[in-house]
Amino acid sequence: MEPTRTGRATLVDLLDRILDKGLILDADLIISLAGVPLIAVSLYAAIAGVETMARYGMMKELIQAK
Amino acid sequence: MSKDLPDRTENGLYLYGVSLGASNGDQLSEKDLKLKGLLGGGIFTLASRGLTAVVQECDSSFSTEDPKRVSEWVLIHQSVVDAAWEKFETIIPFGFGTVIVSKEGRSARENLIDWLAREGESLKRKLEKLKGRAEYGIQISWNPELMVPRVTKNDVMIQRLKEEICSKAPGTAYLLKQRLENLLSKRLEIAADAYFKEFYQKLSGCVEQVRVEKVRKEEAPLQMLMNLSCLTEKRNLLNLSAELDKLSKIEGFFVRFTGPWPPYSFVSV
Repeated sequence: MEPTRTGRATLVDLLDRILDKGLILDADLIISLAGVPLIAVSLYAAIAGVETMARYGMMKELIQAK
Repeated sequence: MSKDLPDRTENGLYLYGVSLGASNGDQLSEKDLKLKGLLGGGIFTLASRGLTAVVQECDSSFSTEDPKRVSEWVLIHQSVVDAAWEKFETIIPFGFGTVIVSKEGRSARENLIDWLAREGESLKRKLEKLKGRAEYGIQISWNPELMVPRVTKNDVMIQRLKEEICSKAPGTAYLLKQRLENLLSKRLEIAADAYFKEFYQKLSGCVEQVRVEKVRKEEAPLQMLMNLSCLTEKRNLLNLSAELDKLSKIEGFFVRFTGPWPPYSFVSV
């Protein structure tokens, strides 16, 4: 079985990582972008705009399969 | 784009990741990298003590209420981290939306360089451990409807209850059916627990590190049994692939294998 980076479910995997993980600085030198956590919730629900994904070459297989 | 463009009076630095790299002064400019980041900003690096921070200038307070714009930003974040990962081979990725700001008379750049100097040794150790490695996502789901017959095949109590339901009057049968459903869901729970332990043992033996993540909701009738993030050498996927092949062939189970991702789940301090 080969790992994949395309497809709708994979996108959720990507969002999980980018939005909830990665190194977090505890210093008070940083700020997080305002409002982003709230938007992220709706992003998960909608799995983002398919058009946007296409623009960045993601989900190509999914779109072509339609 | 213009309405989201910040005024640049107090620039911050959006931080994508930190890599092992150039010594002091050996920094890559926007022209060197030819990479566009959020809001079209050029990506460049700041180097200090053998570490390279991949950054772009940005306002310290930009925000939007447009989910489409956020999804665009998330994908741009990932594409920059990916490009840096490829270029520098190893990266400590930062979560989306990390902006270093100027504070107490120090510019964002000075603050970032100070931080690199302060945390340098621990960052380098972390990066050394991540060399040649990548993160993979593994999700295993099952279809409980397909599992019930298998799980209850030799269950005397359940067989007896089923027989009783057939022979009783509708009112009693209804109550017994509820009891049967409770019993089935308990049996499934026990089976899920046993499968989880079995799969975890097999898979963790094929990788270097594992994190157990929260399971996600799947489309009915599927249920996610396990959601793992695994760190392993990119060139050493054979055992893991073979194990996942075996698991995906078990009837009623579905395996998703994603990656390679930058090691987002394995960089916490």
